[in-house]
Amino acid sequence: MAKNIGYPLDLKMNHYADVSYDEKERLFEEVKADERYHHVLYGCYECGICVASCPSARFYDFNPRVIAQALAREDVDLVYTLMEDSIWDCSQCFSCDRCPRGNSPGQLITIMREVAVRNGLASAKKALEGYGRIIYKIMSTGSQVSPDMLQPNAFPDWGVHVNEIAENLELWRKALPPETLHTTETGWTVSDKTIIELYLIWHMTGVMDLIEGIDEGLFMILVDVMEERLEDAGYDITFD
Amino acid sequence: MGYAKVNECIIPTDLHIAVKDNTWVRVNEDGTVTVGMTDVAQSLAGPILHAKSKSPGTARKRGRPIATVESGKWVGPIKSPVSGEIVEVNEELAANPQLLNTSPYKKGWVVKMKPNNLEADLADLQMGEEAVEAYRKKIEEENIPACSHIEGTEDYE
Repeated sequence: MAKNIGYPLDLKMNHYADVSYDEKERLFEEVKADERYHHVLYGCYECGICVASCPSARFYDFNPRVIAQALAREDVDLVYTLMEDSIWDCSQCFSCDRCPRGNSPGQLITIMREVAVRNGLASAKKALEGYGRIIYKIMSTGSQVSPDMLQPNAFPDWGVHVNEIAENLELWRKALPPETLHTTETGWTVSDKTIIELYLIWHMTGVMDLIEGIDEGLFMILVDVMEERLEDAGYDITFD
Repeated sequence: MGYAKVNECIIPTDLHIAVKDNTWVRVNEDGTVTVGMTDVAQSLAGPILHAKSKSPGTARKRGRPIATVESGKWVGPIKSPVSGEIVEVNEELAANPQLLNTSPYKKGWVVKMKPNNLEADLADLQMGEEAVEAYRKKIEEENIPACSHIEGTEDYE
């Protein structure tokens, strides 16, 4: 078993469940099996260019070099620790792509995150918790952020003008020239054909299985909306 | 109506409570039941911005969603604590969803249902001291923060 390379991750408290070494190895193998993996991990000679260019490293207890090193050294324990913690501190800006060896900690993190989501890791659930409402919106309506989500009490940091706009939201929207933007519950008018096609895509590509593993409540309400609308459109599809 | 306070959360002792799903059931004289979400649920969700119930006439098995609730940064289902058919929805919630926050056990009721397996369903819910203890345990185990109440919350008597 490889040794922890001394990054102060141990101090970050284990707020996630420890799992068996075999399970950690299985997750690591899944990361390595990704076809992008060998195109974004070479060797690291610790020049620190990635860390120097990384905005997250500046503000968080995060270090892109550790990602490349832990993977290259096949430190199974540390890779798991990173997947349950650090990988969610990356802003996926890919500034670290300037690595002279051709490593891309950012893209390695993309792969690790996907594995974390597919396996329903606690860190993935926690990281995605705050996005539940956006996922619900985009998957059920086909548009991401709707005007009526801009509630003053939910976004006090957006300033006083949010109050004014929220008060007369419908009127403001009607002032926009394209008729497709005269909506408040969706970002724009989404046609039935589009939404049905989207639902079929979510169904066929396994996205719904991912959601089920991450957020059971979200899965439940999405299924409810989708099954009903698909049935109306003549599709006999169940997600459960 | 009696109630207990656990961690600043109001737990009525006269309602059947599904502690796991944070919902409650009141059995009405006409054979219907009124369903809502608990103080713990409203506190965890935060100020609620949208509440959309399933339409009257919808048949629901226990555990299936009877409404979708959205707060600033959370969305989730209210799971039906009983099996049956929705016969009435609280129309006021569409216009004023924060009734779920300010009056979770009274004005913020969600739907009325005609249950079809009530006796068995109620047997799985908890009431009185049993519900209070179950909540106490849940709050401790899941590290649920003390209930917070937004402006306009009514006194529970």
